Amino acid sequence: MKQYDVIVIGAGNGGLAAAATCAKAGLSTLLLERHNIPGGSASSFVRGRFEFEPSLHELAGIGTAQEPGAIEDMFNRFGGDVDWYKHDSTFRLVVPAKEGDKDTFINENGVEVTLDARMPVGFHNFAKKLEELVPGSYESCMAAFDLSDRMFKIFDNLENPQKLIGSLKDFPDILRMVSHTMNEGLDALGMPKKAQDIFNTYWCYLGSPGSQLDFLYYLAMLHSYIKYGTGIPHLRSHEMSLAIDEVIRKNGGDIWYNSEVTKVIMEDGKPAGVVINGEKTVYGKYFICNSFPNTVWENLFDEKDIPAKQLKMANARKIACSLTTVYLGMNKTKEELGIKDYSVFIAPDSDSDKQYEAAQDFFNGFCIINCLNEIIPDCTPEGTSQLFLTSMTFGDVMKDIKPEDYKKFKTKVAKDMIETCEKALNISITPYIEEIEIALPPTFARYLNTPYGTPYGFMLEKWDSMIPRTAQYIADQPFDNFFFCGATQERGDGYGCAYYTGEKAGGIVVKKVKEGK
Amino acid sequence: MADLKSLKAKKFFPMLPDRQAKFNAAKAEMPEYSDNAMALAKALHPKRQYLKIAEVVERSEDCKSYTLVPDPDRGTTSLAYFGAGKYLTVFETIEDMPITRAYSISSSPKDSLEGKYVLTIKLVDGGLMSKFIFDTWTVGKEVEVSAPSGNFEYQPLRDAQKVICLAGGSGITPFISMANAIADGDEDFELTLLYGSRDVKNIIFKDELDELCKKCDKIKVVHVLSEQKRCPKGMEKGFITAELIKKYAPADEKYSVFLCGPQQMYHFVDKELEKLELEKKYIRHEMFGEFHNPTTQEDYPAGVPEKVKITVTIQDKTYIVKGNSADSVMQTLEKNGISVPARCRSGECGFCHSHLISGKVYVPAALEYRRLADYKFGCIHPCCSFPLTDLEINVPVAK
Repeated sequence: MKQYDVIVIGAGNGGLAAAATCAKAGLSTLLLERHNIPGGSASSFVRGRFEFEPSLHELAGIGTAQEPGAIEDMFNRFGGDVDWYKHDSTFRLVVPAKEGDKDTFINENGVEVTLDARMPVGFHNFAKKLEELVPGSYESCMAAFDLSDRMFKIFDNLENPQKLIGSLKDFPDILRMVSHTMNEGLDALGMPKKAQDIFNTYWCYLGSPGSQLDFLYYLAMLHSYIKYGTGIPHLRSHEMSLAIDEVIRKNGGDIWYNSEVTKVIMEDGKPAGVVINGEKTVYGKYFICNSFPNTVWENLFDEKDIPAKQLKMANARKIACSLTTVYLGMNKTKEELGIKDYSVFIAPDSDSDKQYEAAQDFFNGFCIINCLNEIIPDCTPEGTSQLFLTSMTFGDVMKDIKPEDYKKFKTKVAKDMIETCEKALNISITPYIEEIEIALPPTFARYLNTPYGTPYGFMLEKWDSMIPRTAQYIADQPFDNFFFCGATQERGDGYGCAYYTGEKAGGIVVKKVKEGK
Repeated sequence: MADLKSLKAKKFFPMLPDRQAKFNAAKAEMPEYSDNAMALAKALHPKRQYLKIAEVVERSEDCKSYTLVPDPDRGTTSLAYFGAGKYLTVFETIEDMPITRAYSISSSPKDSLEGKYVLTIKLVDGGLMSKFIFDTWTVGKEVEVSAPSGNFEYQPLRDAQKVICLAGGSGITPFISMANAIADGDEDFELTLLYGSRDVKNIIFKDELDELCKKCDKIKVVHVLSEQKRCPKGMEKGFITAELIKKYAPADEKYSVFLCGPQQMYHFVDKELEKLELEKKYIRHEMFGEFHNPTTQEDYPAGVPEKVKITVTIQDKTYIVKGNSADSVMQTLEKNGISVPARCRSGECGFCHSHLISGKVYVPAALEYRRLADYKFGCIHPCCSFPLTDLEINVPVAK
């Protein structure tokens, strides 16, 4: 029986990057995926004459020709063929006025709001705009960007606690950023509260609010978005996933779709092979796993074979929240609809923790509306456009919903979200819906096979943040030949984060195989 | 310049030990939670449903209804609930040849809660599966089906409150389910059914439809008979034309048109619908069904060899098979005893998504539902791809 150098379980972004890294290095590589297409979240689906982007909002890792960002750089290294579309704006945050609100004004849409912030790309531009919206915030904003800029210069050292401590002489603030939250960091810089709220708008990309997420990690993410603007693949995320699929095949790797790992075979106390679809066994020296650890322990291992630390980790960590998304194929153009931005965050409250709390219940008015045509004008047929609404939702809010009530419930949630967008932007959406698809936590549970349908992995809590996860990555792995990658690992959720963890896990395995371990 | 001096840098040092301590303090047991999101996903989308035939009803000489119930002996204890309009893919093996067909569920969603699906199947001329079903599906027969699938459903945020449903022959099945769902209060729209049959004795579900109309004033049925000599009162003679749709559609209100029937009906009715100049969003087709005879298509290229060789790799096995260029890649593989992932067989569901390594295929425009990146990276849906040359393909395993 053939023994692969490495078997990669799951062709999500992490698994794809891991398999490509291994195959390119000449390892005999088998990538196994339970679905019929690659990508996990990074995919697409067709309804009528529309092809929808299912999950990607924007990529921070697409830079310029001179300075490619991390994701673009990875695709270049792999030789993956993706046509990037770039965009030079960030987000718009709109907080509609509620009864009794003071300091309201009528915005350009003719809507009474307490806040309307359309934020530009570029540190100076961003800080200037922030100052305009909240006087007295420029200096603290520039100080934050200055910190993030200096941090990026030693970012590679963050992987290595020894090196990290070495670079502290030059930059002791890094310790403060690692060990404090976004809110604490911005308070220390003296940023006014309202400016902090605007500054923190992208918190939901990592799924953790200002009181939990560490200052360093949020700054790192925001930095990437503000420095270069954002990017998105021309042909939905499916293009990125198929591009890596092609890289793996061209480099001699095998990819088997519809091939779900149903059991891990143990030999001498560590994994030696996997059973596929309950019927076929394949052997490997190393394993990289892109599945959710809790799901892996529950379904693929006998309890006696699971290291105690893994179960303790699974019990100690918090499963992050899930999403509700509505995909709309519109029979009007974005101009006809009156949409001027790619990405508008509509929030009943600008505070990230309040937005996070709202996810404990079903749709409380926090909604992101994206219009892909703003970046990719030809992403739908002439005279049409596509919209993508996103709200944060914890999976356990589904507890009282029976299968027979689910369709009506989905429609109600979608209606609420659409109406919220219509009101906040003073536009009309409902009469022009030609195609609609609604995804709730069960939809994500079905496609991602994660507890409560979370795409975010474990919540990035204060005590379980990016740097400690990174420093203890090897110690946290269950066996010396089995490595996790994806959103549950060091960096949490996000395409770039998942690619990074996959490439890193792949690199570890390549090194071990080459050293003959 | 603002700085971070007020934050204690030494807070960093206990971070790693504190995290380790958190882990140490946790239980070394399998985590327990009642994951209702996953439970709902599994209840609505089981991988397979193992059923038994509980009843067979002859509806006309070439049409039968089969009642399917769960088979607990093979692990299915309840049926997945569904939205009216969805189909089940039936998996069968006929003389060592794995084969699948998609059939709309004709029973109401509510019936599934009581452990009952009904599939109503018409014997198709030369139809392999329908003949097999007619011959072998008797009470007690074990049947394997998919979860309810498809997108042919009423959606209140998208569709008009009034829906004109156009059915031809056995295309009536999803509409029976929808009408029942309306009568049960599970769906809320006004359904006017223009139902084309050859003559009165060929109307499937005549009594059920009469009953539904009596029971619920949101349902209206007009029989359109093409070959009836003397048309009974209240029925229409001829075909479903623009004129006829106009006669029964609301004059001063938006309405949706849902179509389900044989391919010839789509060809005819689509042209009629053009005359009505409806917005695209108000016209919805059930899937096209398996496509045959691609060579009759106007855009089919000349000089295609009659016989082709297909080299197919599934996981670690490679097979070389021969087939006709007039058969889809899926049909050729199945005829050679190779199981292929299949659900809708109409290009739409994407379940058979495969990699074309070399060679060329023809895909009829009506079945073209590939994703844009599929063209860029050479991916095809074997169920609606017809070989123009010898092919080399990589197909996922059927499961």
